[in-house]
Amino acid sequence: MRLRTLLFFTAPSAVLMLLFIFTPLVSVAIQSLHTTIVLREMVKVETCTPGFLAQTCTTTERSQVRMGPDGKPLTETRFTGLEAYRSVLETGKLATAFAPGGQGWAEVLRLDFWRALRFTLTFTFITLPLVVGLGLVIALAVNNAMRAIRGPLVFVSLLPFIITPVIGALAIRWLFIGDGIVTATLRATIDPQISFFAQGWTIEVLMLVYRVWHNAPFAFIILYAGLQTVDQDTLESAVIDGASRWERLRYVVLPHLAPLIVFVSLIHLMDAYRVFEEVVGFGSEAHVISLQWLTFSYLMPDFTGNRYIARASASSMLTMVGIVLLLIPLLARVWREHRPRG
Amino acid sequence: MLKRTLLATLPAIGLATGLAVGLAALPGTAEAACAIRNTVPIKTLSAGFDAWKAVTAAWAECGNVQSELDMNFRTKQPTAFAANPSLYQIGGVANNTVVPLLNAGTIRPLDDLVAKYGQGLTPNQLIKVDGKTMAVAMMVNTQNFMVREDVFKEMGIAVPTTWDEVLDAAAKLKASGKFATPLGATMKPGFDISQEFLNVFLAYGGVATKPDNSPGINSEAGMKTLALMKRMAEFLDPEYLTSDSTYVARQFQQGKIAMANLWATRAGALNNPAESQFAGKILQAAAPAVAKGGKPATTLWWDGWVIAKNLPDAEAEMAFRVAMEGIDEEMVKANNNAAVWLLKGYVPGPSAKGAIESAMGGAPAYPSTSAMGLISAALGENVADFMTGKKTAEQTLQAIEASYLTRAKEQGLVK
Amino acid sequence: MNQDDTPLALRPRLAQRAGVAVFLALWCFIAAFPLVWIAVMSFRAPQDALSPDPLRVLLAPTTLAAAGGLSLADVALGAALLWLAWRAATRWLPTLAARAETVPAVPRWLALALGYVLALGAAGLFVLPWLAGLIGAFLGPIPLVGLLAEPVIGITLEHYRAVWVRQEFYRNFLNSMMVTVGVVVISLSVGTLAGYALARSQSRIAFWLLVGALVFRALPHSVLATGYVPFFLNSREILAPLWEWPATAWLFTLFADRPPLLYGQPLATIIVLVSINQPFTIWMLRSFFQNIPAELDEAARVDGCSHFEAFWRAIMPVMWPGVITTGLFSFLLAYNDYLVTALLLDAQSMTMVPAITQFLNRDTRLSDQIEAIAAAVSITAPLFVLVLAFQRQIVAGLTQGAVKG
Repeated sequence: MRLRTLLFFTAPSAVLMLLFIFTPLVSVAIQSLHTTIVLREMVKVETCTPGFLAQTCTTTERSQVRMGPDGKPLTETRFTGLEAYRSVLETGKLATAFAPGGQGWAEVLRLDFWRALRFTLTFTFITLPLVVGLGLVIALAVNNAMRAIRGPLVFVSLLPFIITPVIGALAIRWLFIGDGIVTATLRATIDPQISFFAQGWTIEVLMLVYRVWHNAPFAFIILYAGLQTVDQDTLESAVIDGASRWERLRYVVLPHLAPLIVFVSLIHLMDAYRVFEEVVGFGSEAHVISLQWLTFSYLMPDFTGNRYIARASASSMLTMVGIVLLLIPLLARVWREHRPRG
Repeated sequence: MLKRTLLATLPAIGLATGLAVGLAALPGTAEAACAIRNTVPIKTLSAGFDAWKAVTAAWAECGNVQSELDMNFRTKQPTAFAANPSLYQIGGVANNTVVPLLNAGTIRPLDDLVAKYGQGLTPNQLIKVDGKTMAVAMMVNTQNFMVREDVFKEMGIAVPTTWDEVLDAAAKLKASGKFATPLGATMKPGFDISQEFLNVFLAYGGVATKPDNSPGINSEAGMKTLALMKRMAEFLDPEYLTSDSTYVARQFQQGKIAMANLWATRAGALNNPAESQFAGKILQAAAPAVAKGGKPATTLWWDGWVIAKNLPDAEAEMAFRVAMEGIDEEMVKANNNAAVWLLKGYVPGPSAKGAIESAMGGAPAYPSTSAMGLISAALGENVADFMTGKKTAEQTLQAIEASYLTRAKEQGLVK
Repeated sequence: MNQDDTPLALRPRLAQRAGVAVFLALWCFIAAFPLVWIAVMSFRAPQDALSPDPLRVLLAPTTLAAAGGLSLADVALGAALLWLAWRAATRWLPTLAARAETVPAVPRWLALALGYVLALGAAGLFVLPWLAGLIGAFLGPIPLVGLLAEPVIGITLEHYRAVWVRQEFYRNFLNSMMVTVGVVVISLSVGTLAGYALARSQSRIAFWLLVGALVFRALPHSVLATGYVPFFLNSREILAPLWEWPATAWLFTLFADRPPLLYGQPLATIIVLVSINQPFTIWMLRSFFQNIPAELDEAARVDGCSHFEAFWRAIMPVMWPGVITTGLFSFLLAYNDYLVTALLLDAQSMTMVPAITQFLNRDTRLSDQIEAIAAAVSITAPLFVLVLAFQRQIVAGLTQGAVKG
């Protein structure tokens, strides 16, 4: 195919990605190096608020935002270099943590970015094998089931995947929080003290369980489709050669599914690293936070209406660097497979 | 025979006609509730508690009004009001949520409109900043002490007036086996937990921000506050770090707790028989003090509305008139116990008792300043680390101040 | 099982079969339980729905007393309807679709799906209650058997009425449909072109485009979405130069007198969702196209077709399974999106998923929470029907593409 044709065919897609993914990315990179500061002045202000019998008015000297001629607050944007990154990574505290007398990693894991990173990575790497493994087991089981019930089985197995993530997280929360039905049943049968949202680790376990429940069906459906194309002749000759069930799985089926397993892992790695819905849905911010939640919390306006754009941008750039690092082994594989030949 | 059948059908016909007339008349009566005919599409954004449900329903009667009720309105409002034209004409605000709008200059002074259409307003309702009326208050709100009167009577315990007494009572209730978790508190990270901290901190005489905007959290009052919160935790539901006002209200409704320092606006739902198994058994009193004879450990708030600046004047005028209709006597009479109204026609009922006693006891008004907003944000982020044991009290107080200072620098509050 | 075409030697032994059966039963229970349970809750009065006692949630005595309920006969009828619905989706619909193959695939499937949903709705809302009434009238007077027609399980539609009628959730439903259909159509049109070219090209540019797309897929959405917000809110001012600069003014004024406010515009949100979804779409479609032999379009090219004609005439007709599968993934993304739609749409154009927060965040009464649950179930129901209708296509499509990663 000639270059011109290629460009012609891919232009609409490339332009969309350029405009709506690449441009915001560049602007985020630029914003992470700048800080906007609100300009204020000290003024005497009389404020009146309602009391029960009469209004209470007080005059105080306080700093107030300076308004420009257009009625908008005056701000000043300065180039601050890596300041925002230092602030997000809390480099100063890192140094004291490892200085003599510091508590080392225990202290580091109290800092927001580092504990978010810790959770995001554990979450990603614990769910990855579970999702792929459970998906594979379900696919093998469904493939071994009677043909007549395979349809309903596929349908029920897909349910957790198609459900809206926010709603899925809420459903799980409704079942577990307070005296939700599952917690209540466990309390009645096992231990009356059980509560899932009281300590960090149970919330974390619940988040892992939710994500595996939600994503294993995706692995299942891809691998199940892959199982349909396993070469039956190879399988039969393996039987004739006396290969056990396990050996057939190990030497025939799994190699056939290998590219699909890589595909599923790739997609899951990206999605799990973005973990966010769980933190919001489970209201876990007192115990565990994730990297994307951290960015999001900088971006939400606080009680003065300010968004911390510089730190949000820095934290999202760091998040991005993280995912690129994680993807490097997989990208290398893509490179080997699809390397332009000739 | 025929006659009898006819006679028998008559009441049915009458009933049907009555129903038809009644149905036909319904829209008519609904519109009569609003004195003006609104022709401009008006959108409003406010919180979602019962008082706002009542006021927005009254606005809707004027026609062409679309109201969004959202307990997270705070995160949407600043951006939406900064758009030109503003995405909402009317915004519901409180002491703290008006600050972002004032800082960004996105709400308009209302003095001329008050002069023209605001005859029904009392001076007490006008929120003035620098001499200009920027908002109209409709109610006061405060966190006051709610107790299950029946339980306290039965156990022979007096209604506590200090936190020490609260904890003693909690211990007794727990020991009696009736309540595994006798106390409720809104400790969800963010606004809720920062409010629990500030109530006690201010009552201990703490100064959250000094006149030069430097923080005063890392102080003796701060240490005492954290210590008290830790003592409270012993009597709270183990999942207390996810509990907000709705959760605490539900615990009351289901009889799991016997007392909590909770927003006065929640009283309506607690005393609603359709919702609560203990309607009418919940007494409201002044918030507990930190020491005998001290001020109630709570702050006074107002809720009210503002009008966006980025609007044509005619539209703003219409919005103001609609907004006024929502706080008329008729609405107050129909929803007397939904809030402690500042409006004509309000008869303080039992649900206002706690708020009035707290105010009379000298509880301070929550200061509408940027610095306070930043302190609140820093508290909301960090206090939970102390409660979970991740940080010691000193570490937590230091982290709060550090977080405050980082924010305050970007806000130009400190150098 | 005569249908079972697995070779005899490969068939599992009995013990293994039992193990597999137990595992599958357990998995199906875990997969379906949370959804089934919230569906049950949504039909109960708050006191029953939030009760910690599972039996009370299931039987709902308070609801029964207050709002009436279902008898065993009604439950049997409901089960029969569900079975029919399943049957229709898996057997009759595909047959019907196969018969009407003169109509192009997309409109054919859309029409069938729409007809199915309407028929199901009519059966559930009108025919079923009527039949139930009839059975009740017949069985009621007979002793003992009459008990079958006696209501035993409490049920109320009150929360659905509140959500769909009082809170006008149907508006959000229509918005959702508009956004979803828009995203699927545009995504597929743009994506098939790119996917085809990328599958057939060996050039360095194609490779880097694919790697770029892969990295783009990994980006956290909150970063992108918040980048859009200021632009969308101030689009009138930002885009004004395009309308004022003479060289472009004539073009843009053809569409509108002045620059549009992008915030709250469904079309703008559709474009954003399409862009975010492009990386996945082109990777997926590319692997489908790779499995179609290149000889096919080369033959068409020899016959004198241009590249585009070859693509359209020779390749697309055999691509439908792949397009449908990819389309379903686009559908799920657009329909389920929360972050982007919550930030970029206003109250009038809000889709269903972000609109659910309005039920949660006004959650000050018990009934508010059950309304939120009813809204959640309402959002899930169309997905349910969709997968019911398309699950064969998903498996067939994925098998054909055998997604090469």
